[in-house]
Amino acid sequence: MFDISPTEWTAILLSLRVASIATLVATPLGIAVAWLLARRDFWGKAAVDAAIHLPLVLPPVVTGYLLLLTLGRRGLVGEWLADHLGIVFAFRWTGAALACGVMSFPLLVRPIRLSIEAVDRRLEQAASTLGAAPWRVFTSVTLPLALPGVLAGMVLGFAKAIGEFGATITFVSNIPGETQTISSAIYALISTPNGDAAALRLVIVSVLIAMSALIASEWFARRATRRLHGN
Amino acid sequence: MVRAARDATLARKLIMLRVDVSKQLGDFKLEAAFESEGRVTGLFGSSGAGKTSLINMIAGLLRPDRGSIAVDGEVLDDTASRLHVPAHRRRIGYVFQDFRLFPHLDVGENLDYGRRMNGLTEDAARRKRVTDLLDIGGLLDRRPGKLSGGERQRIALGRALLAQPRLLLLDEPLGSLDEERKEEILPYLVRLRDEAGIPMVYVSHDAAELRQLATQIVMLKRGHVTVFGGVKVLSGAQ
Amino acid sequence: MHRIAGLVLSFILLCGSAYAPALAQDKNLTVFAAASMKNALDDVDAAYTAKTGVKIAASYAASSTLAKQIEQGAPADAFISADTDWMDYATSKKTINEPTRVNLLGNSIVLIAPKDSRIDKVEIGPGFDLAKLAGDGKIATGDVKAVPVGKYAKAALEKLGAWQAAEPKFAMAESVRAALTLVARGEAVLGIVYSTDAKVEPGVKIVGTFPADSHPAIIYPVAATTTAKTETADYLAFMRTSAAKTIFEKYGFKFLVSPTT
Repeated sequence: MFDISPTEWTAILLSLRVASIATLVATPLGIAVAWLLARRDFWGKAAVDAAIHLPLVLPPVVTGYLLLLTLGRRGLVGEWLADHLGIVFAFRWTGAALACGVMSFPLLVRPIRLSIEAVDRRLEQAASTLGAAPWRVFTSVTLPLALPGVLAGMVLGFAKAIGEFGATITFVSNIPGETQTISSAIYALISTPNGDAAALRLVIVSVLIAMSALIASEWFARRATRRLHGN
Repeated sequence: MVRAARDATLARKLIMLRVDVSKQLGDFKLEAAFESEGRVTGLFGSSGAGKTSLINMIAGLLRPDRGSIAVDGEVLDDTASRLHVPAHRRRIGYVFQDFRLFPHLDVGENLDYGRRMNGLTEDAARRKRVTDLLDIGGLLDRRPGKLSGGERQRIALGRALLAQPRLLLLDEPLGSLDEERKEEILPYLVRLRDEAGIPMVYVSHDAAELRQLATQIVMLKRGHVTVFGGVKVLSGAQ
Repeated sequence: MHRIAGLVLSFILLCGSAYAPALAQDKNLTVFAAASMKNALDDVDAAYTAKTGVKIAASYAASSTLAKQIEQGAPADAFISADTDWMDYATSKKTINEPTRVNLLGNSIVLIAPKDSRIDKVEIGPGFDLAKLAGDGKIATGDVKAVPVGKYAKAALEKLGAWQAAEPKFAMAESVRAALTLVARGEAVLGIVYSTDAKVEPGVKIVGTFPADSHPAIIYPVAATTTAKTETADYLAFMRTSAAKTIFEKYGFKFLVSPTT
């Protein structure tokens, strides 16, 4: 039951890679967006907030299709990228990372935003009076205090990225070794005669990863409150 | 002879604070204009008189609707020419009523914060002077969360001083402390005035405190400067 | 907390370097093949890899899905479709290297039921009443609008006069293998799939065969794409050898060309 075939290993390792690249690239952007939403008011803020949460409520296939329309080889932006910069997303693992990044972005931003909002602005004021320019206030006070929230967001985003399916399969299909993640491998296996045992193994791996991520995320969230009280 | 020399040294440290601002605060308007040259300018008035808003404007944390603020000849705010020097460039220290120590740093790192942000060189002698002045040398490795109110306020004082400001603002620094702690801290503030050599603007609603510390008084009532003068103007007040 | 942040970051970075997908320069070929080809082609690919060392990554799905993915720029080197329509479609979209196209395999469609079904042997001829046979249950096959097996099934049923009555009972699946699974799990009481699919799924039994003249000939064309790597020609040539023929016929496919050595 527990010997994992090469195809399954490939899917697991590919999933890990895709999810981690997606998380690493999305995190700085997520921090910036979270900070904007937490600390700044601007025209169109509600629209930006809604747009960021779209991937949570849109059918994943729709998100995947939109990605195909814009970033596919013949898409609005994708054609230019491919012809001028040689960058291709569709049907590549980079596209899988992009799809996973887009889908997990709202889950990444939310805990970060909440933890930045929880940072006492009066501390930021105190930092200014001590000579810290706004950027340094952010790196020396806000971010360290919001760090547990950032980690919670990253871990949650990573878990979502590992489990992503609908947008991924629409945007990059199901090519073993290139875009066949754990989810698409399971999907292929359940349509394969005698594929149930392998599918089950991958399901167990998925569940283990997801559970660990959720537990870790919770732990970080709890550390956040303790940290703010100077313990 | 000695006294004259000492007075001359102190006179060099006096700083000209020129304030002429107005700002709408909720349902009343703050309008204050005064010039102060004292070592400790006391800002006296009951709560809600606009004292905190006034020193927040001097610190650069709040912008006036109209008017100007200048420290030592340097214009920090001038609504006419749309000039506003941001808080972090004013070199004006601030001690808050609620201490506001950084919870994620230990005491030593808190003290060192201003020096680092201003790019000043490490000065162990200066640091020792300040920690001795405030008796906080033994707390350097502790975390702010576990300290008493009195300890925290002394550290906040030290932190503000070590950023080498040219003016120090204090907003009811004893306001969060009980009577015992107040008695404990007041001597440190007197020492600060006499030995640190940095001019201060001290906000309080407690006339007794100001009688001990201030050299000049600005009285604020419902957003208006009602009296300006030496400490004797407090005699009628409670 | 900073130490933990470092740990989390290291873990994520480690995952990032865990796997490096094949680079374009690697000797790997990607073939997009009709879902019904899975078992047979896996064996053929294994034989090819054993012989040449070139690895084949095969992506199986309905021919309709694959043709559209290739149109969208998917990096396939070879395409095997379950009908000529979808190969023609891909050709019309200028994604197929036409001279390489060969009608390689043939197949037949059968009526299947779950292994433990009461239904046993059915005569499929004119006047065949599929709807009555299905009763309250569903009939699974590929989407009749696009998936080749569905199109063949509909054509056959229309010719036999059984389509109209049976249409409402159809459960359209996105590939023939998905339909096969529906029957194997007992979710559908009947299904129409290729005879080659029925052979590999122990959970189903064949209860009837559609006469060959009730539907267009089932032909599997194979071709190289316009973006194919040079090694593709060798791979396609291998599929025409008698070694490949043996494997395909073992699974029940008809070999339509004369085998080379």
